[in-house]
Amino acid sequence: MAKATGSAKMRLLKSDTCKEATSLLLDYLAGTLPPKVKRAFERHLSICPDCVSFLKTYQKTIRLTQSFLSQNIAAAKLVHVERSLSRRLKKSKRSR
Amino acid sequence: MEQREAAEPALKRTRDREPAARDEEQLVERLKSGDHQALEAIFRLHSNKVFQLAYKLTRDRTESEEVVQDVFLTVYQKVRGFRGGSRFSTWLYRLTVNAALGRLRRKKRSKEVSYEDFLPQFQPDGHHLERPVVDWSNDVETRSSGRELQDLLTRALNQLRPQDKAVVVLSDLEGLRDQEIAKTLGLSVAAVKTRLHRARLFLRGQLAVHLGYSPT
Ligand SMILES: [Zn+2]
Repeated sequence: MAKATGSAKMRLLKSDTCKEATSLLLDYLAGTLPPKVKRAFERHLSICPDCVSFLKTYQKTIRLTQSFLSQNIAAAKLVHVERSLSRRLKKSKRSR
Repeated sequence: MEQREAAEPALKRTRDREPAARDEEQLVERLKSGDHQALEAIFRLHSNKVFQLAYKLTRDRTESEEVVQDVFLTVYQKVRGFRGGSRFSTWLYRLTVNAALGRLRRKKRSKEVSYEDFLPQFQPDGHHLERPVVDWSNDVETRSSGRELQDLLTRALNQLRPQDKAVVVLSDLEGLRDQEIAKTLGLSVAAVKTRLHRARLFLRGQLAVHLGYSPT
């Protein structure tokens, strides 16, 4: 019985490989893997230090990108934009 | 002390602005009948957020100001076709992303780089090509200066295809869900996920190579 369950789980990852595990990272981190696939994924991690390192550096990349992107967002100074917009509006025709 | 100016802005809080929805509807109706003052009011309400979103995508002040102009001109010209099936702010959000994307596409990307060079590679049996895979997550910031990382990420993000960059910004900075990103960019959810994953792998590969490792 236990054996059958085990091999069924095994088949949930098409081929229990690092390549397969890497392709699941996005859904794993988003929490959108089906529970059985998630368990299979975590089982792969438990025996594969390479994929653990890959996961950690993938997560770190997301955090670094996030903090980079949220830095130094310029403040808007839009008075001249508003002026030039109203000039353009006066010339522009509306589409129907 | 003007630090607060640069604080993270609020387009992603669109959902918190429900009470303003009614006023907005009225403004949109007035705008449909050609009321210039309604456009001014809408401009004052939203131009800041449009600018900030455009800036997140282009990282360029002048381009972002151009986007603001393009977007409000489009609003004025196309508002009669806006049926109100979605919120006005959602429509505005999409116009902004697409205007910024148009500008990113027109701008030459810094040197064409092959994604493949920075994606992980695998052995025929499915193992990572180079092992062990090194975990640099805890020391990347001590091994590179803040400046180096800034430059690297600026370059790497500019090397992404414009639509992939938009997916990264909308997901990882704006916090939109895959479905919302898909609707905004006119992609399937599967395409959004594929693009986001590849973009992250590419950025990760750039960091790994910078630290002297294989992208694998
Ligand atoms: Zn593995």
